[in-house]
Amino acid sequence: MIRFLKLYEKFGIVIFIALGSIFLVSVTPNFLKLDTILNILAQAAHGAIVGFGMTMALTSGGFDLSVESIMALSSVFMAILIPVIGIPMAILVSVLIGSLVGVLNGLIIAKLKVNPLITTLSTATIIKGVALLVAGGRMIVIMQKRFMAIGTGKLLGIPVPIYLMALFFGLFYLVVYRSSFGRHVAAVGSNESAARISGLNVDLVKIGVYVLVAFTGAVASVIRTSQALIGMPSMSPGFVLVVLTITILGGTSLAGGRGNLWGTLLAAIFVSMIYYGLNLINVQVFYQMLAVGLVLMLALFIEGLRVRYLQAAKAKGIKV
Amino acid sequence: MKKILSILLVLAVMAGAAFAGGAGEGAKKEVTIGFSLWTMKYTFFQAVEKGVRDACKELGYKYIMIDQNEDATKMVNDLNSLVGQKVTGIVITPVDPGAIGPAVKKARDAKIPVVCADIGKTGPVNALMISNNKKGGEMAMEYMDKLFKEKGIASKKVGVGRVQPQYTYASQRGDGFVAKAKEMGYTVVSDLVTQPPTAEGGYDTMQQMLSANPDIAGVFFASGREAVGASNAIKAAGKNTLVVGYNGDPEEIQAMKDGIMAGDIAQQPYYIGYQSVMLLKEIFAGKTYEDAVVPVDVALLTPSNVDEFQKKVDALMKK
Amino acid sequence: MNGVRGHARVWIASRWDSFGLPALISILLVTFSLLSSTFASGFNLLSNLAFSSLVGIGAIGMVFCIMSGDFDISVGSMSALAGVLGASLVGRIGGVGAVLVTVATATVCGFVNGVFVTKLKIPAFITTLGMQYVYRAIAYIYTSNTPVYIKDPFWLFLGSGTVLGIPFPIIITVVCFAAAVYVLRKTSFGRYVVAVGTNKTAAMLSGINVDFIKNMVFVLVGFFVGIATVVTASYLGSVNPGMTGQGYEFQVITVVVLGGTALTGGNGNMLGAFFASLFLTYLQNGLGLKQVNSYWQFVATGLVLIFAVGINRVKSALLGQREA
Repeated sequence: MIRFLKLYEKFGIVIFIALGSIFLVSVTPNFLKLDTILNILAQAAHGAIVGFGMTMALTSGGFDLSVESIMALSSVFMAILIPVIGIPMAILVSVLIGSLVGVLNGLIIAKLKVNPLITTLSTATIIKGVALLVAGGRMIVIMQKRFMAIGTGKLLGIPVPIYLMALFFGLFYLVVYRSSFGRHVAAVGSNESAARISGLNVDLVKIGVYVLVAFTGAVASVIRTSQALIGMPSMSPGFVLVVLTITILGGTSLAGGRGNLWGTLLAAIFVSMIYYGLNLINVQVFYQMLAVGLVLMLALFIEGLRVRYLQAAKAKGIKV
Repeated sequence: MKKILSILLVLAVMAGAAFAGGAGEGAKKEVTIGFSLWTMKYTFFQAVEKGVRDACKELGYKYIMIDQNEDATKMVNDLNSLVGQKVTGIVITPVDPGAIGPAVKKARDAKIPVVCADIGKTGPVNALMISNNKKGGEMAMEYMDKLFKEKGIASKKVGVGRVQPQYTYASQRGDGFVAKAKEMGYTVVSDLVTQPPTAEGGYDTMQQMLSANPDIAGVFFASGREAVGASNAIKAAGKNTLVVGYNGDPEEIQAMKDGIMAGDIAQQPYYIGYQSVMLLKEIFAGKTYEDAVVPVDVALLTPSNVDEFQKKVDALMKK
Repeated sequence: MNGVRGHARVWIASRWDSFGLPALISILLVTFSLLSSTFASGFNLLSNLAFSSLVGIGAIGMVFCIMSGDFDISVGSMSALAGVLGASLVGRIGGVGAVLVTVATATVCGFVNGVFVTKLKIPAFITTLGMQYVYRAIAYIYTSNTPVYIKDPFWLFLGSGTVLGIPFPIIITVVCFAAAVYVLRKTSFGRYVVAVGTNKTAAMLSGINVDFIKNMVFVLVGFFVGIATVVTASYLGSVNPGMTGQGYEFQVITVVVLGGTALTGGNGNMLGAFFASLFLTYLQNGLGLKQVNSYWQFVATGLVLIFAVGINRVKSALLGQREA
């Protein structure tokens, strides 16, 4: 039982995915097609990538509500810069600019010690305004068709976003589980004062985290912008809450100290599956929202039970 | 005690400000038009705004514009503010047409006529100028049918990506399309609301449509950006599904020029804005309009007439 | 701190809580009045005062919540659900009944949130994150995503009517805030909320029923959101399941924090929230009247928030208090 529960912590989402798949397979033949599955994975990509960044943010004991605005800012800059300095350079610069916002967030949170909620809420509003100002309030059409390749292209029949998702998963896996930075982040998240006392440069760690989150936001923006081929000063409203939902659903604790990267990946796929699958059978979008909300509550309820079971077991002396 | 003091302080300053400012409210001799606009973020609304502004300039009216910032409560507050400024007439493009009722009543009570420029209306407005959306949807289906016959496409499967249902007038686009499709013997295999209502939403929704019906022959996306996103999705999937959009924005024009979008129903936002002011002029002169709906024609854009259309639009916006 | 400058700083810091915002508001009012005669009209000032009540009333419950150390980001969706439920029943139970249903629905939503947090021990942030999807989805489904219009005279009066020239929403706001301040300062409940927010364990050890307090706090959030919804719906003449309450939670939290309530819990500034709602409303209004590009308003609002926290921090440092 205990082993099952520990496994659940890592892969519990798989159960949800399995259940969801069974349900969808039974109601529509279209679900099992390769195209469909690939599309679901591809549509999960941007949520997953930002989710990886958010996972780190939560692990460090904070979170970032400004990713939406960062996405918009990057999108606008891409649209403006592509005609001027070409696609690769434009992407680089836009991602850089997005990441700079992360530096801003990190500085305010670490140095000025302002609460992450307020900081990122404020920067979200400010950057939203900046994006709108830079774009002159308009959507900017991107003429260079080749840019579409990133979001819509396929390599060996598999959509590029899936490769990106895998790539970033790999990168973040290395950072979170195999690098000292990852350990530092978890340390800061579990007990900041202890981390500080043990000599960690907490401020630098925090800044690094927020830069990473912003970075993921900018990358996701590249994917989305290339799909739409339009620079958008306002993208996917409410996206930040979806990302938070994915991250928490994936098992990352809001309290910090423990990040569940696998969970985030699987949760992103699961949520994409809900939206996509339910749309396939023409279920209205409100039921989809309901489904996501209920799943989140259910997952947390189970998590609560699990934690208490393990705690009780520990108290009884059973090795956990 | 401190709290009471602080409240009194604020009240005192307010009273003082009101006293000082109130004296300046004389009767306005010049005609002032207050224009409350959903947002300036989209080309469509930018055109409406220019139309209103140009009309005011031509008629020598004073022009005040407030951006609702896509916020319904701000919209109502702005309306009340315009009434307070004692404008002569109000044009409004509401973000939430269902929420203007009480505010419009206040305006009418203050003898200020209100014309809605597009979107919808509630309450005692004088008139609503809006595209003939139903006809636009029908035209989209008719054009699709014509293209199918030209290309020898046998499939009778079509789909529609609707706008969000709270926009009752814009929803008629989807209704017109579906009704015409059924009339012409087509099956609407996918009837979805594009979610989210953005270009990426069009992309995602189109992918879902293709998954459900890989041999879908044509789709109508009732909002421009979403149609462009959908066109991109089709191109990415390597399919030939025809896409018809709605609006007439530069993104759609570009998509048509690139050959990924087959057609577009263009509205006349500049005209809608312009005519709204002209309507107010008639009301000032004594003509009566009450809860009137003035339909504005839409045009079918095809790859052949797109350049000419763009030139006309550019000329209007440069004036 | 020595010297005149030091003393002056401490003097300002100690009075900031009570006078800081009002002073800022006064400066704001004077500045904008000088810049625009329309701003200074009685009509404008009064109608914006009424408008500020939409966020202000909702903030009351949130102050209690944040003081107790929790959050509720489902208030916008609560508002939508309560609004559509109440509005749809006007025909059957009349205006008064419908208003009561709206407030009751929101209160029940708050109670549900509270139960999840206290009994199921799910952190408030996550609970309300999930519930906001659920509440709004129910609102959509219940109305098939169609707006519900309000034509009942009683209900409409609550938002648009005037008593002796004073818009009714202002009266509601004053009553609500007065009641809230009383509860906070003069009742044991208020003291318990502060205790729970300051140190949950200590509170529990000293015999306070922490679960009950926390649950009540969420109920209060719902209750005041219900009242705010009634006023808003009356203002707009309709409730739209998709639009009502969008972004409301962040507006409310901004107002609460700007008002001086610390996010860490503990002591809160109820009147501060009131003044903050005034400040933001007039700021937006003034900028709008001067035809300032609305995008700059976003930048301004964000800066104001950071500025507010910064000031709280400086003040706390000067007075040797705990950091916000």
